[in-house]
Amino acid sequence: MKTVLRGIIAGVLGLTALAGGGALRAQEQKAAKKMKASAIKVEMIQSDEIKLPAEFQVALYEDLIQQLQKKGGFEHVYRQGDRNAANAPDLVVLHSTVQGFKEGSEMLRQVTTVAGATSITIHCVFSDKEGKSLLESDVKGKVRFFGGNLRATYDFAKKTAQIAHDNFSPTTGT
Amino acid sequence: MVVGFKTALMVVTLAAFSPLVQQSFAQKPEGSVKVTQITGLPGVKNNTGGVLTVEGGSLHFSHGATKVDLAAASVADVVTGGDSQRAIHGTMGSVGLMAAPYGSGRFLSLFRTKMDTLTIQYHDADDGLHGAIFTMPVGKADEIKKKLLAQGARTSVPEEAANTAPAAKEQKQ
Repeated sequence: MKTVLRGIIAGVLGLTALAGGGALRAQEQKAAKKMKASAIKVEMIQSDEIKLPAEFQVALYEDLIQQLQKKGGFEHVYRQGDRNAANAPDLVVLHSTVQGFKEGSEMLRQVTTVAGATSITIHCVFSDKEGKSLLESDVKGKVRFFGGNLRATYDFAKKTAQIAHDNFSPTTGT
Repeated sequence: MVVGFKTALMVVTLAAFSPLVQQSFAQKPEGSVKVTQITGLPGVKNNTGGVLTVEGGSLHFSHGATKVDLAAASVADVVTGGDSQRAIHGTMGSVGLMAAPYGSGRFLSLFRTKMDTLTIQYHDADDGLHGAIFTMPVGKADEIKKKLLAQGARTSVPEEAANTAPAAKEQKQ
């Protein structure tokens, strides 16, 4: 009986170790895939084709910087024009261009909770200092249920910071 | 005698409170506007209420002990909500939107309630670009913008352009 119990315990421990090892390897592989970048410079959001109110443009920019500082995983987050960025090693530059938006209604959201969603689509290009594109992605900022349109800018910023976090790291190389 | 005592009491009370009255006037200099800072000022939390003043070549925001000063010359762009609306819809469009019921015709706006917005872009000491957004009672954003421009700020939507651009657009049509 004791032998059976010992066997079961040993089996469980072995499986746990295997699973843990697998997860570790997956994490290592993910880390290895990340591109090396210790700093990011955020350019002002562009909206050449789509006329976007100035407050929306600024809210997107400021939210993006706040989220990158919180969750981006970079040692430094520079703003457009910051002269200190020129000396930063492994600098990534983020260009964002508004590609489309759908205006929702906060009133509709409050009444129906399903209709009236606001969404904004922004094309993000992460490039190196020389302008070579490293990563491109279309990010959608949405506000579905409650809250004003400002939530859409926050949603976009959060998603973009997550993309940056998943693809760049100050410690690992390619 | 009783009347004399009452008068003396009133005079003493007024004298005791007079410094407070003077202080409350001193806290609200002429031209100050009650605003909400939505985002963008260094060291100020988002959605903080405060008072905005333009004087001495600077934009001052104060909320209790927190005070932020921005040199008007560092402001690269100052735009009101009305400017954005005119740029997107033109003057006639703006009038039409205002007439639409329950805000149904409003353009993509960050804010639901009827208020004015003032958006500024400014540079810090390292030349880094910042943006700040304020909301305030209707009509006040234009006042602040005019004062800022008079003290050295710049704008992408000058007053003449804001008034004449839609007219030119209408002539083309």
